[in-house]
Amino acid sequence: MKRALMMNLKDNVATALEKLEGGVPAMVILPSQEVFKELTPVKAIPSGHKLAVKRIRKDNQVLKYGQVIGNATQDIRPGDHVHVHNVMSNRMQMPEVWYREED
Amino acid sequence: MNFFGYERPDGSIGIRNIILVMSAADCSEPVARMIAEGVEGAKSITQHYGCIPGEMVANTLIGVGENPNVAAVLLVGMGCEGMPASALGKVIKKTGKPVEWISIQELGGTENTVSKGKQILKDFSENVSGLKQLEFEASELIVGVKCGGSDTSNGLAGNPAVGVFVDMLVDAGGSAIMMEPIEAVGAEDPLAARAVNEAVREKIYKMIGNEEKRWSVPGAQMEFMCKGNVEGGLTTIEEKSMGAIHKSGNRTIVDVLENTDRRLEKVPKGGGVYLQDGTHMEPMAMSFMAAAGAHMVLFVTGCGGTFGHAIVPFIKVTGNPDTYRRMSHDMDINAGTILTGEESMESVGKRIFNKVIDVASGKFTLGERLGYDNFSVFRQDPRLEVLLRINKSLA
Repeated sequence: MKRALMMNLKDNVATALEKLEGGVPAMVILPSQEVFKELTPVKAIPSGHKLAVKRIRKDNQVLKYGQVIGNATQDIRPGDHVHVHNVMSNRMQMPEVWYREED
Repeated sequence: MNFFGYERPDGSIGIRNIILVMSAADCSEPVARMIAEGVEGAKSITQHYGCIPGEMVANTLIGVGENPNVAAVLLVGMGCEGMPASALGKVIKKTGKPVEWISIQELGGTENTVSKGKQILKDFSENVSGLKQLEFEASELIVGVKCGGSDTSNGLAGNPAVGVFVDMLVDAGGSAIMMEPIEAVGAEDPLAARAVNEAVREKIYKMIGNEEKRWSVPGAQMEFMCKGNVEGGLTTIEEKSMGAIHKSGNRTIVDVLENTDRRLEKVPKGGGVYLQDGTHMEPMAMSFMAAAGAHMVLFVTGCGGTFGHAIVPFIKVTGNPDTYRRMSHDMDINAGTILTGEESMESVGKRIFNKVIDVASGKFTLGERLGYDNFSVFRQDPRLEVLLRINKSLA
């Protein structure tokens, strides 16, 4: 089974360690390599990109490393791709350029 | 663990014997290059802010000349520049190492200057060939840590593995410098929690706050994350920062080194983790770290950056297993084994420590073997500093 890494138990996202296929269950592991849960990505997740391990409501915090890395700009379901299309920084916004496009 | 280095007259320890030909301004750079060409161990550098570049540039060039990896310095000036080669040379000479300066106008043009310069380098080479390697403890080492061309593997593998190494180095009495003023935005709290005292805590918030102001000017299109970052999965500056600070390990942050027009603070004796004010832009950050006394830099790159530095050897670490597979001739350390589950963070940290000791003892990094010798200097725009009302002094 393909793996995604969740850095801290407080986190609501995990990072895909390889490309995950949409609809195919993947394993969310912790830094100790222990399995946290099984999770099915809604769509394909590129390697190194994040997917939600829990539901994140619009305007709620996105947590990685146990720290806030931004806020959700829309409701995010478990298994959804979490990236620039649905998360906004609370500190400094990047200019609106090519990478804001939905994948 | 011990390494073999070269003792300088001022008591500092170098890990390379660079003969530096420094052009004070880029107008005399071609002549500096002609002088250095073909001379073993000689490198020519310059800066590109004109001949009246301001104190920050002068501080950096002086600090680079003073760096213990530099065995001798020849400064080349046109003669009419606002920041004369002689002014830089006089300060660098206080280290006791061989330092000379020449002026193209005074010597009567290119030919005479190149021939005089070559003559001086011949003397320098003789001097350097007489230097013997001596054994020193790892506590003498000052290692810079920097990341760039980051993807999410930096935060998950490359940076934390370097962090394990930094903890080991500091426990052995050595020093580490991290320069990431912008890639600490959103990660202030965990850094400040490691400050040795309240004053350093305040300096951390102030340095990062200043940089945030510089990069969030309303109406200005400021890009502080590259295409590779976003394609690699990094979403916000907070995420990038939280991953970036891992490379400074977990030990106490002893101080924030001031880097302003007023002064460029160096790493003092005694060991520990230091933050240094400056820039996130890699080759320029390396020059600042070199000026603060760094012997070498560990560079963590998920996307796979290939460059180096003229003064400080550059050990490249990638936490991305695909990047290592594609670019193994450029990457000194494969930390991708952490993400594939083959190796623990601690084991990679130990491998990095061994590599650092080897490189400190004279073993070339892959970048050195390839001849990488980037050099560039950063300058804050003094007008912007005033307009943004940035109080630069951290103390």
